[in-house]
Amino acid sequence: MALVLFISVFLISACGLIYELVAGTLASYLVGDSVFQFSTIIGCYLFSMGIGSALSRYIHRGLVHRFIWIELMIGLIGGFSSALLFLAFAYTQAFAFLMYFIVTVIGVLVGLEIPLLMRIVRGHFDFRDAVAHVLTFDYIGALAASLLFPIILVPRLGLVRSAMLFGIVNAGVALWSTYLFATQLGARRLLRGMSAIVLAILLVGLLEAKRITAAAEDNIYADEIIFARDTRYQHIVLTRFKDDLRLFLNSHLQFSSRDEYRYHESLVHPGLAAIPAPRRVLVLGGGDGLAVREILKYPEIESVTLVDLDPEMTRLFSANSMLTALNQRSFHSPKVHVVNADAFPWIDSDAGSFDFIVVDFPDPTNYALGKLYTTAFYRAAMRHLSAQGLLVVQGTSPMFARDSFWCIETTLRQAGLKTYPYHVYVPSFGEWGFIIASMRDYNLPNSLPAGLRFLSVATLPALFQFPPDMARIPMPANTLNDQVLVRAYDRDWKDISH
Amino acid sequence: MSTTRRQFVAGGCAALAGMTAKGDRKITGAFVNDAFVRGHQIRDRAPVPAAQREERIPLVIVGGGIAGLSAAWRLQKRGFSDFVLLEMNDQAGGNARSGENEVSAYPWAAHYVPVPGPKAAYVRELFEELGVLHDGVWNERFLCFSPQERLFLYGKWQEGIEPAVGLTRQDREQFQRLEDSFAKFRASGGFSIPMELGLSHSPRDLDRLSFADWLGQQGVDSPLVVWYMNYCCRDDYGAMAADTSAWAGVHYFASRTPEEKGPLTWPEGNGWITRQLLQRVGSFVRTGQMVRRIERRGNRYVVLTDGARYAVDAVIYAAPTFLAPYLMDDFGPLPKFEYSPWLTANLTIDRPPRGAGTLERAWDNVVVHSPTLGYVDASHQTLRSQVDRTVWTFYWALAEGTPAANRALLLQKDWGYWSEAILHDLERVHNDIRSCVSRIDIMRMGHAMARPVVGSIFDPRRRELATGQGRLVFANSDVSGISIFEEAQFRGVEAAEKALDRLGAAGG
Repeated sequence: MALVLFISVFLISACGLIYELVAGTLASYLVGDSVFQFSTIIGCYLFSMGIGSALSRYIHRGLVHRFIWIELMIGLIGGFSSALLFLAFAYTQAFAFLMYFIVTVIGVLVGLEIPLLMRIVRGHFDFRDAVAHVLTFDYIGALAASLLFPIILVPRLGLVRSAMLFGIVNAGVALWSTYLFATQLGARRLLRGMSAIVLAILLVGLLEAKRITAAAEDNIYADEIIFARDTRYQHIVLTRFKDDLRLFLNSHLQFSSRDEYRYHESLVHPGLAAIPAPRRVLVLGGGDGLAVREILKYPEIESVTLVDLDPEMTRLFSANSMLTALNQRSFHSPKVHVVNADAFPWIDSDAGSFDFIVVDFPDPTNYALGKLYTTAFYRAAMRHLSAQGLLVVQGTSPMFARDSFWCIETTLRQAGLKTYPYHVYVPSFGEWGFIIASMRDYNLPNSLPAGLRFLSVATLPALFQFPPDMARIPMPANTLNDQVLVRAYDRDWKDISH
Repeated sequence: MSTTRRQFVAGGCAALAGMTAKGDRKITGAFVNDAFVRGHQIRDRAPVPAAQREERIPLVIVGGGIAGLSAAWRLQKRGFSDFVLLEMNDQAGGNARSGENEVSAYPWAAHYVPVPGPKAAYVRELFEELGVLHDGVWNERFLCFSPQERLFLYGKWQEGIEPAVGLTRQDREQFQRLEDSFAKFRASGGFSIPMELGLSHSPRDLDRLSFADWLGQQGVDSPLVVWYMNYCCRDDYGAMAADTSAWAGVHYFASRTPEEKGPLTWPEGNGWITRQLLQRVGSFVRTGQMVRRIERRGNRYVVLTDGARYAVDAVIYAAPTFLAPYLMDDFGPLPKFEYSPWLTANLTIDRPPRGAGTLERAWDNVVVHSPTLGYVDASHQTLRSQVDRTVWTFYWALAEGTPAANRALLLQKDWGYWSEAILHDLERVHNDIRSCVSRIDIMRMGHAMARPVVGSIFDPRRRELATGQGRLVFANSDVSGISIFEEAQFRGVEAAEKALDRLGAAGG
């Protein structure tokens, strides 16, 4: 009996520490400030254990019975603690409250465990031996848990499943105790039945844990998720906080409704306003319809063709009322034609000619997207420019991705275009860069459409001035067979992120 | 009705078996383009049926691979059109054949041409004509897109095929020593493409030992370096370094200057070049015409196929040279003409394998210490940014063991055996590959390419065929001893020039 008993002590001790570590890690991961999180959680937990120990004196009878109930409760609460916290973080405002509550409850229950167990075994051992053995195995269990947690559990199982697994261990100890202390126990059937139910619930939890994390982790955005969808091409997420609507594609921020006008006015007007009588416009990318909204401010424009890969994206931005309010129902204009196609093959086969081409693709984060930033692509696009035509390219940040921005600029020149780079400040993005490219000389416009919130004729020239920390640096051109841009972009962002 | 205990157990076992079966879907496929049935008729000297018709024509080209098609291309450019090209298979192109399914076009063998150097004048001329080279600039769309190659090493993909991560100091030293040595050979000019142009000042003694022995002499023994050297020999010659002439091993590294990011490639591999050539000379090509005999009649020749008899003034022999002793009397044996057996497979991939590492899928994908050469993605040269289905061409030079034994193995084992071997090899890096593949078509080639064994490059018989003076001109790349596109094209064009010269009939 002795060995089996001490193994139980070892296991429940490990379980207790695991829940504490799970809570600390989760809070650091989701909220940040790990020193604060771990200190307060450990403090709260130890204090609660003290409460538990103090409360143990009020338990007089049915020690084994109560011990088993406590094990089952720890198993259930501890096992689901991580999943609950994840979901609370994603869907409620009460994460911190729930976290300290769970830590307190588990702490109190764990605090009850050891005093009760010592009293249970009192009859079997000398008191001196009982204290020595129980505490020894208690501390060994803690060591085992503290090693197991970072080395195996977190990397292999993740937080949700680790907690579930140790919940199962607690419930297992409960079930096992019904046999171990069978002689001291009445109502064994009921307890075994309860243990089996708790074990079953936790087992289902363990197997389904993937779904819980998927539901929660996808929603780890700063603001409330109002729309999330996996399309064939990307993961679209819309969040809202008060009046700020944000679009994320594959977790990359595409716009914030608070300052997107800065981006889209800057993308469109410096080029388009400089063209004498623009009639046909092409937008590549830009499935949110926001660039089109700006383009439609020129009444002389007869047609706008928008080519975006993802039909669900353009559908969303032509149907959802919150989004159509933002793009002013630009996709509903009879002048606008939406084509859902892969941009490079489309521009390679279509024969149309345009006065203004907006190239607004996602940043070149991989080689597949990098193809859309090559000399071959710009040469193909050039063939669609009318005699007075201009092309504008979003060129990532000349501040955070300076190499990338100037690489795109060099690529446009290599393709045979004259380039006119400029930059603006968009608070949610930081400094952002654009490049106007054309076969003729470009001159700043003398007037802009009425009602712009950011651009003015007076401030335009300043956009084309680059301070020394964003100034041109020599870069090679990006080609299909040597995508230097993707490597540069990767380097640029690695340098400034952790 | 109650379930008996036995039924229950049996059902459970079946369910378990179902769960553990690796493939949850059926993979179809077949052997395709088998050429050995026709080839063995020649080898076995099967009786030639009496000719149904007789044709009098000044010139016949035997063999419609790159050498034969290039000869035709040259003849036509020189304004000579009194010839036919006879091809045994139903499709011309030889090692530059390709296929196509609902997903993509794909190669059956050769799939790229390294960016040609200045000496490869005929290749440059062809590529200018095809719009691949324009005003000295290579068309970016035909250069292999990024990322070009990757190698699975130490459980991860690295960019490039030459091992670069986790090298020991010894690995690095030996790679450097070899690179220095190859650079000297490169500077000597003795290793050129086409090889004929550098041969006269090329070190003959290198052809007297194997590449493995030469590497040993250089003190190369690091397993990774040796693996890479063997990989290169298997890739270009279908042979291990121990079965390759040191001259050929050195030629692989010393013949090209890495200047341009290449190589040149197309979804259907060199099948693209075949198609372009066929657009120009297709009217001269007669497929399904197996030449059974070539007989000399004084100054002239008679070429017999299964149905026809061609009386000709000259023959450009562009078929594999090892067949010549079976077609001609008194040709004599060709002891230094050895060939490597290969297997290629085209796998229809319905969805990309999961978790294949963080590095993006490349054009050429190689796994270190695999007996195979890995696979090439036919959709790599697409302009699309989104690709779901694709075709992988899997290459396997059966280099370990003797060619004869491997040829026997190719014939003995069925499609199931080879497709299982291919999937097993791919599972090293894509453990869900079986649920991604829907079809595997396999092409077996007993004599896929010339094997440059020790003594083969300067073999007197080979030199005699390369420089012969008669009206029977040899044009296959195996006359160079190295089976690459540039050699085939060079030999083909040169053969056309020689034939015109010997016919004294340039311009008609």
